[in-house]
Amino acid sequence: MDVLFAKYLFRRILSAVLLIVLVITINFFIIHLAPGDPATIMTGLENPSPQIIEALKRKYNLDKPLLVQYFKYMTNLLKGDLGFSYVYDQPSWKLIGPRVFPTLSITVTASVLAFTLGTYLAVLASRLRKKFGDLIFSLISYVLYAMPSFWLGLILILVFASKLRWFPTSGMFDMRASYEGFRKVLDYLHHLFLPVFTLLLIQLPVFYRVTRASIVQNLREDYVTVLSAVGLPNDKLFKKYVMKNSIIPAVTIFGITLGFSITGAALIEIVFAWPGMGRLLLDAVFRRDYQLLLSIYFLMAVFISVAMIVTDIVIAVLDPRVRLL
Amino acid sequence: MRFRTDFAKRYLSSRYGLAGLIMFLTMLIMALFAPVIAPYKPTDISHDMLSPPSKVHPFGTDHLGRDVFSRVVHGARVSLTVGFVAAGLSALIGIVIGALSGYIGGVFDEVISKIIDSFLMFPVFFLILIIVAVFGRNLVYIMLVIGLTTWPSNARIMRAQTMSIKEKAFVKIARANGESPTRIIFTHIIPNGMYPVVANSAMQIGGAILTEAALSFLGLGDPSVVSWGKMINDARSYMSFAWWSIVFPGIFTVITVVTFSFIGDGLQQALYPKLSEVRNE
Amino acid sequence: MKNIVLDVQDLSVHYRINKKVIRAVEDVSFKVEEGDFVGIVGESGSGKSTLAHTIIRLLPTNAMVVSGRIELLGYDVLSLGEEDMRKIRWKEFSMVFQKSLNALSPVHKVGNQLADAMKAHNPNLTEEEIIDRLKQLLRMVNLPERVLKAYPHQLSGGMMQRIMIALALLNHPKFIIFDEATTALDVVTQGQIIEEIKSLVKSLSLTGLVISHDLGVVSELCDEIVVMYAGRLVEHGTTEQILQQPLHPYTQGLVRSLPDFAQEKKKLSGIPGNLPDLSQPVHQCVFAPRCPIATEECFKTVPSTEEIDGRRVACLKVGARI
Repeated sequence: MDVLFAKYLFRRILSAVLLIVLVITINFFIIHLAPGDPATIMTGLENPSPQIIEALKRKYNLDKPLLVQYFKYMTNLLKGDLGFSYVYDQPSWKLIGPRVFPTLSITVTASVLAFTLGTYLAVLASRLRKKFGDLIFSLISYVLYAMPSFWLGLILILVFASKLRWFPTSGMFDMRASYEGFRKVLDYLHHLFLPVFTLLLIQLPVFYRVTRASIVQNLREDYVTVLSAVGLPNDKLFKKYVMKNSIIPAVTIFGITLGFSITGAALIEIVFAWPGMGRLLLDAVFRRDYQLLLSIYFLMAVFISVAMIVTDIVIAVLDPRVRLL
Repeated sequence: MRFRTDFAKRYLSSRYGLAGLIMFLTMLIMALFAPVIAPYKPTDISHDMLSPPSKVHPFGTDHLGRDVFSRVVHGARVSLTVGFVAAGLSALIGIVIGALSGYIGGVFDEVISKIIDSFLMFPVFFLILIIVAVFGRNLVYIMLVIGLTTWPSNARIMRAQTMSIKEKAFVKIARANGESPTRIIFTHIIPNGMYPVVANSAMQIGGAILTEAALSFLGLGDPSVVSWGKMINDARSYMSFAWWSIVFPGIFTVITVVTFSFIGDGLQQALYPKLSEVRNE
Repeated sequence: MKNIVLDVQDLSVHYRINKKVIRAVEDVSFKVEEGDFVGIVGESGSGKSTLAHTIIRLLPTNAMVVSGRIELLGYDVLSLGEEDMRKIRWKEFSMVFQKSLNALSPVHKVGNQLADAMKAHNPNLTEEEIIDRLKQLLRMVNLPERVLKAYPHQLSGGMMQRIMIALALLNHPKFIIFDEATTALDVVTQGQIIEEIKSLVKSLSLTGLVISHDLGVVSELCDEIVVMYAGRLVEHGTTEQILQQPLHPYTQGLVRSLPDFAQEKKKLSGIPGNLPDLSQPVHQCVFAPRCPIATEECFKTVPSTEEIDGRRVACLKVGARI
């Protein structure tokens, strides 16, 4: 089994690396196909100084063919050089670094909660077996699934921050209070609630629907007939056998949703003025800071790949069949 | 023919399918007859700014005194156009690439499959964002870009369909008769295998509408059209004292996307009718 | 005179599908004596599986027993409450299911599932006792102990089928039903398993039923054979009688097609045509439309089951032929 598992893991890591390469390749070429002088575009400045242009040309072989530039860019990345933002006049990493934690804190929290709550509600709905309850749950899931995340965030701000004043409208900390220690943590959680809640509501239907469908399908499987005939109590049959089988699809999509939740998070960070990577990304788009953009994309691709590899390991532990794939 | 009437019957017998169809037709009428239905021009400004819903302005007015109801009705045109064009393009590309990949097989198929898998894992919204930022904020670009980045899920479905259809007798006969691969793909495989892609496309229409709304919300939408996302963005600063300006465009976005989810589910159910769980032996 | 272990009387079972009523089993009666095995043969849709599932009360929810009585090991099966049924099913009697892709949970170890099944009826056993008994059980069905640690997908078809047999023997039942227990196997494995079943049945002195579409399998394992067609019993006799002198034209067709009948579900080579529509009430012999010797009266009268020479047959033409 260990050899099989190692092989499986190796294949998953290989495809993750492939994903990263593909993503930065596509982004690289899109940016370099943009109309205009590549050196000027890359600086993101209206009137870059001749020295910067000269430095850029040397660093990225800009006067050489596109492919040579591409390889130069890749070697720089391999050396750990994420790039340099000429707009901010700082290395990309200096700008991105402090924003990694805020973004991860809302995406990971929301995804984990959505997974837990979504699968739990699906189990609940299938145990209730009341047609009416099932219909209500499924209608709610349709509506949440269709909701633009940014709009939901704004409506929640409107209701819970502006009108009810239960939560702050924006930011990660109360700037006027400058709390320390435990109070600071509480303040942070207070600010965290609404963005996480928004993202949670957006992701909930995905886990709910996948698990719900999976339970329905599993209840029809032969093993349920067999084990029930054998005399296994229904409760044990459901909790031990049906649940473990039914949860696997939800785990599978967890990795993917975590990736997609970064998209949702970017919009929500903007709505809540949350100082994460999404905010920086949008600023980079507007300022045409392509160096910074490429760096953010690279990091996001790495993050998504790591999330997926972790998911793959969890699935392999849960489902012995996948190790053979 | 028999297949089609059965299909229609099954579709209409699905609760969601029927509801989706009715909602869609309502939406379509709203978009087609927008100038007749809307009491004002969507761009008409007035001195009646940020006034709450009333008989004159059923959904109130925005910060420039524009009638929110009229703007919402016109916004349907943009959303439906974006949805259909983007999802249509995505279906077209997906069907052709998926069919080719599945039919040709070999290394070509492996490369295409890897690309499809990677695309499906990476959130394409960022890609769309960067392309729109680089190439400009034009509705045509936006539709093209959404279509060009969302085809992989269709390609995956079509590829699986192709693999199973190409083993069927009628395809083997066509091959034995010396029909060219192009002909086989376009006259046998695609017409017989595209239905699941159509169901997926219905869902993608909703996705495209949400993407356009998000782009407009970020200020990357086409500045020359009235879209729900842009209305939401415009209303942000005034929402705490003019809820109507932000609530209505959002609600219409939700209803529209739900409509296409319903249609997609109805199509799915019509395509794969649940086998009745009966041991009848 | 031997004890009667199973007594099925005038059993009718219907399904409700999309507002239609499917008459899956109609007026079936037969008995099984202690130590005997009776085979139930018929093609898909003949009602043989429904019959078997009715006997151990594992019918889907849309099925209803319209009439009849089943007495199994002294229990009035059809009037037992669900809870009482759960207590005796798998203790007193059990079923060998056809092995399938998901006959056991794919993500739990085989040993774990067998242990859970054993605990269901023996809550007081310790873990060691359970493992001991499972190992003993595996020896009986010729499986190595290591399968306990395996996942279902790691086992071959033959091994899975042996697991299903072991599962049925878990609590030393007195009565056992083999439901297509060799159908999904290749010919060689099928042969092996049939031999193993034969010796198991003898050493454990079991009584039971063998459900199969394959007359060959049934005739190897059984003392008596019941032939079903479209939910009705058409012939019942000893294996010898059925094989050597079939009376009903349908049975004759089955016997004629024996050699090439062994592997797959095929249409009967000797009998053209399909099963009748089971949702319509029938006022004729159900087999008449496919019968080579049917005459006008066969399309007018429902044949009753007549006893001839200690065997039973439902055919208007039988008297004329003997």
